[in-house]
Amino acid sequence: MNDTARFVTFPLGAECYALDSIQVKELVMPSRVYSFPHTMPALEGVLVRNGAVIPVCDLRSSFGQGKERNVYVIALCNYQGRTETVAFPVSGDCKLVQGERSDAPEKVTFVAGLLRTGGRTLPLLDLDGIVAHCIQSGLAFAGEAKQ
Amino acid sequence: MTDSVNPPRTLHVARPAKPVAATVGPVIMFTAGGVRFAVEANEVQEIRDGDERNAIHKLKGPVPVDFAQQLGLGPGKLERYVVLKPGECALGVTQVERMTSLPKVVPLPGLFRGAERQWYRGLLLLENEVVPLVRAAYWRKPPIAAQEAGSER
Repeated sequence: MNDTARFVTFPLGAECYALDSIQVKELVMPSRVYSFPHTMPALEGVLVRNGAVIPVCDLRSSFGQGKERNVYVIALCNYQGRTETVAFPVSGDCKLVQGERSDAPEKVTFVAGLLRTGGRTLPLLDLDGIVAHCIQSGLAFAGEAKQ
Repeated sequence: MTDSVNPPRTLHVARPAKPVAATVGPVIMFTAGGVRFAVEANEVQEIRDGDERNAIHKLKGPVPVDFAQQLGLGPGKLERYVVLKPGECALGVTQVERMTSLPKVVPLPGLFRGAERQWYRGLLLLENEVVPLVRAAYWRKPPIAAQEAGSER
């Protein structure tokens, strides 16, 4: 199924990915990420936006992202049937584009489909999948550490 | 058409969720392992000095718990003991800083799925700071390891 809509594109590791703009709440440059003791290695702390706290998920372990962090993408994801808000750092140069979404020709890990925009094709990030992977890995790690 | 988004600007694609903050009664702020925490004042029975540590060890009373160590922060510098009601457990902490009233507390975000959901009741939003609010109901019973250590005293 193809449909035309607006998407937010951003660099993640060596690739440029896209998310449907409906899923993206904000692109922000937070003054601070607040950290506190917890057991989830994938979560590095929280951002405070409009009186709400938003967990920051570090996707570098999956995408090999560099240290430079210009922008945090705040987006909605579905985790175990619940809609959660999550922030993840990207290295800037985010764009809002129009494009056409299509299914990926083959199943690729953490890719939910393809976006055709401006003569190029970008993978659409499977944010639900990557967040679930990060959280479940963290829970498994915490379980092993406890034993 | 492509619109570049300059990093300093905020792109509001969807309306941000309204804050779900509530207020709690007075809280006592303390530090352990270099991190600031808070506990509701009405959950605290008393606060003892580190000098009274021997008294805590010798007399039948609250089991002392190294709070920083329990959270994985390493052995803490135990200067004060926050005795939680009903007096079975004393959290060993570095410093008791102050008491503050009616802070806003928000639930721990749902993606935090580990032991922290038991450790904390939520997060306090203070000016320029986010402070975990200790869940006294979890900590008022001393952890097994601390109980065993206490039985040897």
